[in-house]
Amino acid sequence: MTAPFYIALRFATHRKRALLLSLVGVVFGVGIFICTQAQTQGFAQFFINSTIGSNGALTLRSRFQPRHEGLVVPTKNVNALPARRNYFEGIHNVSEIMRVSRQFSNVVACSPVLRGNVSARSGFEMTTVELFGIDPPSHLRTTDLAKQIIDGKFDDFTNNTSAVILGYKLADQLEVGCGDSIQLLSPGGEYWRFMVAAIARSGVGAIDSTRVYAQTRVAQRLLKKPYQASMIIYKLRDPDRAPALATHFETLFQHASESWQEREESTLQLFIMLRLSVAITVSLMILLAGFGIFNVLTMLVLSKIREIAILRSMGYRQVDISAIFLWQGALIATVGSLIGCFLGALLTWVVSKVPIHIRGLLYTNHFLVVWDWRHYFWATVLAGIAVFIASYVPAKRAALLQPVDTLRGSSL
Amino acid sequence: MKGDISLSCRDLERFLGEQEERVHALCGVSLDVEAGSLHAVVGPSGCGKSTLLYILGLLDVPDAGSVEIGSTPIAGLSDEELARRRNQLIGFIFQFHFLMEDFTAHENVMIPMRRLGQMSDEEMADRAADLLNAVALGDKLRRQSRHLSGGEQQRVAIARALANDPQVILADEPTGNLDTDNSHRAFELLENIVREREKALLLVTHNRFIADACDWVHEMKDGRIIASHPHGQRISVS
Repeated sequence: MTAPFYIALRFATHRKRALLLSLVGVVFGVGIFICTQAQTQGFAQFFINSTIGSNGALTLRSRFQPRHEGLVVPTKNVNALPARRNYFEGIHNVSEIMRVSRQFSNVVACSPVLRGNVSARSGFEMTTVELFGIDPPSHLRTTDLAKQIIDGKFDDFTNNTSAVILGYKLADQLEVGCGDSIQLLSPGGEYWRFMVAAIARSGVGAIDSTRVYAQTRVAQRLLKKPYQASMIIYKLRDPDRAPALATHFETLFQHASESWQEREESTLQLFIMLRLSVAITVSLMILLAGFGIFNVLTMLVLSKIREIAILRSMGYRQVDISAIFLWQGALIATVGSLIGCFLGALLTWVVSKVPIHIRGLLYTNHFLVVWDWRHYFWATVLAGIAVFIASYVPAKRAALLQPVDTLRGSSL
Repeated sequence: MKGDISLSCRDLERFLGEQEERVHALCGVSLDVEAGSLHAVVGPSGCGKSTLLYILGLLDVPDAGSVEIGSTPIAGLSDEELARRRNQLIGFIFQFHFLMEDFTAHENVMIPMRRLGQMSDEEMADRAADLLNAVALGDKLRRQSRHLSGGEQQRVAIARALANDPQVILADEPTGNLDTDNSHRAFELLENIVREREKALLLVTHNRFIADACDWVHEMKDGRIIASHPHGQRISVS
């Protein structure tokens, strides 16, 4: 144990009240930081998991025509936009694209989807819905649809070509349940009758209020499409790498490709803004705790002027005197962060048990939290920085005190 | 070795204060202190005794002149080097003992040893206990320094000054805050240590009896040493 650390320990433990005051600020700052981050990220993570579980981490859409450059070189114009692509609706070589896609190590599974908007009617209720024509086995491998079923059976949907699965909010809106029938209006103007085999809840309001799943061939006939799929959705091992794979697929297959990050950009930005806003607010709390520590350490330096002079007379260097007060800051930061992390975990657990009724953007009956070590790491780093800044000035001031001034004042 | 110069200074000049309040605190002070000898500096308040002591103790820097400890010149050394020499070569004793009040007697004596960093915790603890035994405080090792009497606190300060076995002991009115009995006891203790362990002692005092008992008495006035008397010669102390 170095001499400054030993003295810092003794100073700190002999000023219990001051130490406690400093600790309280750090403990609550760290604890609340962890808890709020766990909550805000909890909601964001739930949304991400739900949207990936329903729509895949990556989607491949219509084919586009490669851009051609003419012989005439256009005049340089900064405002000139790149030539627009020509898109061709639908994917015609689904099997080939899926076969090649599966060669990629990041691809876990992929599934073709034929998508279109139709009107749905039940009794006197009518609404526009998003029809997903799916291949049940491959769709199950690619999405969490089986886990999302809250009423009915997926097998009833698989075994019956005139069966559909409805989003739970859409089912509420159409006032139908399992076994009831709904009618879908084809582009040709005729109504097709379907039996509701199951009701699914993804947790994302936009999906649950519009989504209708039907089998691919039925959807193809209903939508009168010449192709089997309007998009292919992918389940990835590492969804975070979806943007890179999307770019690669776009070049490889000459089909528009979109990662979940791009698809949900606006909602994700909302969550990021929320997290940042909360992080800034709580960081200010930690900063305020830093001011508290600054005051405590400044008072400590003032009360220890005589001891500092004695230590200097005994051969302690300026850097040793600084170290004594920096060590005290480090002690406060370490102990405060440790207790703060424990408090943060406790608060997070308590908050996760708090009932809450959310039925808008997300569906949840309790606060959603994420247990992530990075929240604890960053809270500790933030507290460390705040405490270091708060202790640096008093430590520097202590080091620069002239021992002679103190000793002369006491012994002339 | 007895007779060797442990501490010396030549032509020390020191100005204190700024502009109109500037005071010429030391005017060409020269002094030699040999190992195993006791030197007293006497004089009226404000004559520059403490200033001289702090410069010789490397806590202050002279505006002119030189200081040597064990024939090593001190001029131009960094703060780190000065601190190292203070820690190794000099032991300070102050009028108000200046113990660390949150620490026990034993811990106070170990503070300079911790800075030196040449001993294990056990060795430091043993040495501190020996030193406190030597000043008759062996039974009060674990007592908080603030719970000791004035005389006991000064004896702890003496033990602490000897912690790193320094060549030089500088004492600024070491008995100034003690009653007559305790003053004599503290001085006798210092005298024995200096004689037995071959230390050089320079003390600032207003106490005539203590000054008389030293090997040399240096009289200061207005920042100068106006007279130096060997032991036995009558002096006048203000």
